[in-house]
Amino acid sequence: MIDEPEFTEPLARELCGTMPVHRRLLNESMAYRAQRSAIENQATQYRLGGRRISRSGTISIPVVVHVVHNTDEQNISDGQIYSQIEILNQDFRAANPDVTQVPPVWQPLVADTMIEFHLATRNPNGDPTDGIIRVRTTRSSFSHHDDAVKSSATGGADPWPSDQYLNMWVCQLRGGLLGYAQFPGGPPDTDGVVIRHSAFGNMGTVAQPFHLGRTATHEVGHWLNLYHIWGDDGQGCSGDDKVADTPNQGGGNTGMPTFPHISCNNGPNGDMFMNYMDYTDDAGMMMFTTGQSTRMNACLEGPRASFLIPQLARVGGPEERTVAAASAGGPRVSGNGSQRELEQLLQEVLKDTRAALSVISGSR
Amino acid sequence: MNEEAPDIVGAWLHAYEEDTDTTAVYHPEDYPFRPSRRPRRGMDFHADGTFVEWVPGPDDRPREVAGRWARQETDRIRVTFPEGQGEPFDLTVVSREGDTLSFARGERQ
Repeated sequence: MIDEPEFTEPLARELCGTMPVHRRLLNESMAYRAQRSAIENQATQYRLGGRRISRSGTISIPVVVHVVHNTDEQNISDGQIYSQIEILNQDFRAANPDVTQVPPVWQPLVADTMIEFHLATRNPNGDPTDGIIRVRTTRSSFSHHDDAVKSSATGGADPWPSDQYLNMWVCQLRGGLLGYAQFPGGPPDTDGVVIRHSAFGNMGTVAQPFHLGRTATHEVGHWLNLYHIWGDDGQGCSGDDKVADTPNQGGGNTGMPTFPHISCNNGPNGDMFMNYMDYTDDAGMMMFTTGQSTRMNACLEGPRASFLIPQLARVGGPEERTVAAASAGGPRVSGNGSQRELEQLLQEVLKDTRAALSVISGSR
Repeated sequence: MNEEAPDIVGAWLHAYEEDTDTTAVYHPEDYPFRPSRRPRRGMDFHADGTFVEWVPGPDDRPREVAGRWARQETDRIRVTFPEGQGEPFDLTVVSREGDTLSFARGERQ
């Protein structure tokens, strides 16, 4: 079994906590760890080439944006939300204009992930929607402590089914926090990403230097199982992001570094600080690598396969495109999906599911 | 507890951009901090001696590490993790003025 990366130690520390989040993790940590191990094993098979991505076309993931606002300013415009969706589609398809700024040595690694996003067109009941939920709250800001923004009972907005929609909560966050995510394998009722309103999209309330929508790109990277590029080991050189084509580097980079920035004997090219999974300013990050793309797509064929399977089932003929367009806001696939791909994927997912269940129940 | 000791009870986040060569500056959690991509470290000193440290997590949500704190001298704080999940450390309180708490640099920052 593949070991969890270095951040598992803080998880263990939380077992002795007294805060609400600690208690929740106390109850869930064993199952969560088992889930994460199974997910990592699955991702490793793709990284090592034992498995290949089944999908050859694009996937478009339905998004619901929950705008939880305490002031009129925080109630961001539809246009600001559209700008964020457009940025996600550019960044995940390597269609962002600034991709040309990637240093030549890493241009060959720039990846089109073939993943897109769209605002949901059907709500969970099947009714038409614009994919935007607006909730007024009495809370002036939200903290990371309790995920309060994710529940109407605590002044936030309840998620839509997180196996069918990517939930994005937009709000005022305390402590200067730009956003946070949840890795696959976590609790379904808190699954999604939270983004500070002033870092969402590229217009309206956004503020420099986090004004180009890259916070959501970064957080959705986590949602699709990417780790920080330096491996989450502080400033050390032993952390691993579980992606082979990203250089080893010390800690996270902030601001706007200049190329090359050397750490951990990673010269001559140094840190890949222009990667979306570093901590640079919005204008300083502009690429995912091929290895990161593989890891995200492995996630879509594993723990987040619920987004992929309905699409593959619909692809194959012209009428199915129509069905996809009229579906309950579900994911859309285009390209060369086939029945064979679907069957192969279903078998793999069933195998993973059985393995994960046996780990959790302790039956192996 | 020494009555002259600065009151540090509460939740504090690191305003790293305000640090000086000799001090690390903290403000209360609800202070209007400047947005920061790197999650801010934090420390929550409870009146009952329990302690929570916030460290940046892999999903950008600060992770909470529970321990205990005790005053050693007027300006000296000892933080321990009795269950062994962290190394103990000492803090020197330089000042507490309103919503600004300053520690000597180099001990935890």
